[in-house]
Amino acid sequence: MNPPEPLTLFRPPFRNYQFDAAYDEMFSAPGTPRAHYQALFQNLLELPPEELRKSQQAADLSFLHQGITFTVYGNDEGTERVFPNDLLPRIIPHQEWRKIENGLTQRIAALNLFLEDIYHHGRILADGIVPRELVYSCRHFRREMRGLTVPRGIYVSICGTDLVRLPDGSFAVLEDNLRVPSGVSYMLANRKVLKKVFPTLFRDYGVSPVDHYAQALLATLRALAPASSSARHEPKVVLLTPGVFNSAYFEHTFLAQQMGIELVEGRDLLVHDNVVYMRTTAGLRRVDVIYRRVDDDFLDPLCFRQDSSLGVPGLFNAYRAGNVVLANAIGTGVADDKALYAYVPAIIRYYLDEDPILANVQTYLLTDRSQRSYVLEHLDELVVKAVGESGGYGMLIGPHSTEVEREEFRRRIEAEPRNYIAQPTLSLSRAPCFLDGEVQARHVDLRPYILYGENVTLVPGGLTRVALRRGSLVVNSSQGGGSKDTWVLRA
Amino acid sequence: MIYSVRHTTTFRYEPAVRESLMEVRLQPRSDGDQRCLSFTLDVDPAANIMQYRDFTGNTVHHFDIAGTHKLVKVTARSSVEVQFVSAPRAADSGDWADLDALVAGNDYWEMLLPSHFAQFNPPLQQLARELGCERRGNPLGLLMEVNEAIYKLFAYVPNSTKVDSPIEDALRSRQGVCQDFAHIMIALVRGLQIPCRYVSGYMFHREKIEGGEIENDRSLEGASHAWVEALVPRLGWVAFDPTNNLVGGDRHIRVAIGRDYADVPPTRGVYKGEAQSELSVAVTVSPADSVAPEPVMPSFVVRSRPVLVRTVVRSDQEQQQQQ
Repeated sequence: MNPPEPLTLFRPPFRNYQFDAAYDEMFSAPGTPRAHYQALFQNLLELPPEELRKSQQAADLSFLHQGITFTVYGNDEGTERVFPNDLLPRIIPHQEWRKIENGLTQRIAALNLFLEDIYHHGRILADGIVPRELVYSCRHFRREMRGLTVPRGIYVSICGTDLVRLPDGSFAVLEDNLRVPSGVSYMLANRKVLKKVFPTLFRDYGVSPVDHYAQALLATLRALAPASSSARHEPKVVLLTPGVFNSAYFEHTFLAQQMGIELVEGRDLLVHDNVVYMRTTAGLRRVDVIYRRVDDDFLDPLCFRQDSSLGVPGLFNAYRAGNVVLANAIGTGVADDKALYAYVPAIIRYYLDEDPILANVQTYLLTDRSQRSYVLEHLDELVVKAVGESGGYGMLIGPHSTEVEREEFRRRIEAEPRNYIAQPTLSLSRAPCFLDGEVQARHVDLRPYILYGENVTLVPGGLTRVALRRGSLVVNSSQGGGSKDTWVLRA
Repeated sequence: MIYSVRHTTTFRYEPAVRESLMEVRLQPRSDGDQRCLSFTLDVDPAANIMQYRDFTGNTVHHFDIAGTHKLVKVTARSSVEVQFVSAPRAADSGDWADLDALVAGNDYWEMLLPSHFAQFNPPLQQLARELGCERRGNPLGLLMEVNEAIYKLFAYVPNSTKVDSPIEDALRSRQGVCQDFAHIMIALVRGLQIPCRYVSGYMFHREKIEGGEIENDRSLEGASHAWVEALVPRLGWVAFDPTNNLVGGDRHIRVAIGRDYADVPPTRGVYKGEAQSELSVAVTVSPADSVAPEPVMPSFVVRSRPVLVRTVVRSDQEQQQQQ
């Protein structure tokens, strides 16, 4: 393939492709595509726009037919939406992926050691690396987990970590999602659709497969099964969902089906003499491992939120007794608290004696007086996030905020400084997207999924989320984001 | 001193319920100045009783009753030895600098941070100002002052608050029961940066002595009781009972400690069904060498409204307020 003329950039469908300070995933300079984007670039130039539009329609239809939806909270007009998919794949060369994989493996190892430590001896607290108050004041710290031993010492077996690419081209971790990360079904659905829409391009690119994710997840869950179960039978694994009203219900049904395990709600399970059973038409059936997509608070009304009807009364005692395993473990949210995030590099050094492979984003702790006053003076430049929230809820993006919104956050920060952190407004990298019949650049992030059972496994890929609104930096689906397929290239 | 304690809790349901699960914290602790010599727990209808220790070292027993039932009766009997400890003296205790050094060098955060029932909110801050609750003198002296101030300021009125009442209710009406007074004291004491924890247990009520030499205890005989322990430098955890204006002593039997009531309810349960429930509690505490008194009438009865919920019904009336 001949290198393209620099000016081809301005040919359709790239006529309106714009550059700014952000790293561009496709182009190293205006008109010069990066080596791994060359083939896609060429393809886009050669395809008639009509063809692309048809492909997009076919993809949209496929998503609609598969029922790939999500739920938006806090919006009166119907809560269920089709998850917007962008046609163009985001391509990651093998070498870059290797670094991501190593960095995330290191991170999940350290965070698991941290969780085991704080729920047992608390060495890292006694040594003053992480302030005790930060841990104990965290809404997701579960005292009930103290002294409880979890299988293989693994607390987080399913993790989705949000990465962003900074203007210098390096990846940094924006957020760890250690509780019930979602979105992996979109990763699988995107792939399924793109393989159909771009069969030749896909084959020629040498893309690493992701289709085995469900089997890898099932193997991870089985690896956690209590020792007592193997003597009786193959471990019984179920997926516990909050039910049809949950934003990720589609994903719950999808994963249960892919793994060939039962999808259950709290009312389908019961605990008797510290053992968990599933009610089936053929009587009670013992359950060994629960892939739970229900938050800690709602898992067991006897132990946590008493008004919860989503959980299973007595589940925690069965868990404590080692008769059932929950994945993820209870109490992992303390390690993805956004204020604790600032300490993750120190946590990695403390337990592993290694430097972090993936950098953190600079984070201001608002409990610190001087950092707080800096933040309050620069609210118009910074991003403020509530520490316990996710999904892009409860945040302020300084440069895009109004005076009223900033005042509101100033008031909230002053009232509850522990509840917020601030970060610089990041210029997320931009990737080509097919919008309005042409290719335009939009900000993206990347959420790879990490599994930790017998060992750490990353399916090569992840969910690339796209801020579909022009200029927007928020990629969350609940805030008008979409997603695209992520192609990790084979070596 | 050795005490015999019997604590009976009876739940009646109409119509019958099923799949009851219950956790109880009824076994007296063996630590500090007390030792639990024996403990038995009976459940009717029969159930397998399992146990574990919670994060503050309390023994928790739990069981489930799968079939339908109209009654659950839990009877705990224990024999507890309590050592007599003379009243703490300021001369033996440390000062504020000792306290701060103790706190800085150890892990007392749990008992310093606000908790569910012990929030340092505006009404509480108002009370702190009213009582002039700020560091002065020495820690022990100030704690005794706070203990007495709560005793004097608040009227002991059974049933004036409920098991899940926030302390604002008692603060507003200036009345409540021991659970409220304990929470108020905890919040005030933590506000002084002194670690403070909730104690659930029993109190041996002394015979009334004619001639008025000894004032009657205010707390209700025949019920479980609650008080607090505050960390005093050089002395360790010292008991303060703002309901009865007592400090230390050997009439208190400690069952469970926690940040507040929410950590240590004597019973906590869940069941399935649509029922009206009634809870009754009877507690007797007697010196082991005396003849145990006849079972007394239930000290209090709580009736719940009929609740109509499709699946799990959990009523707060499943819990017993500490009086």
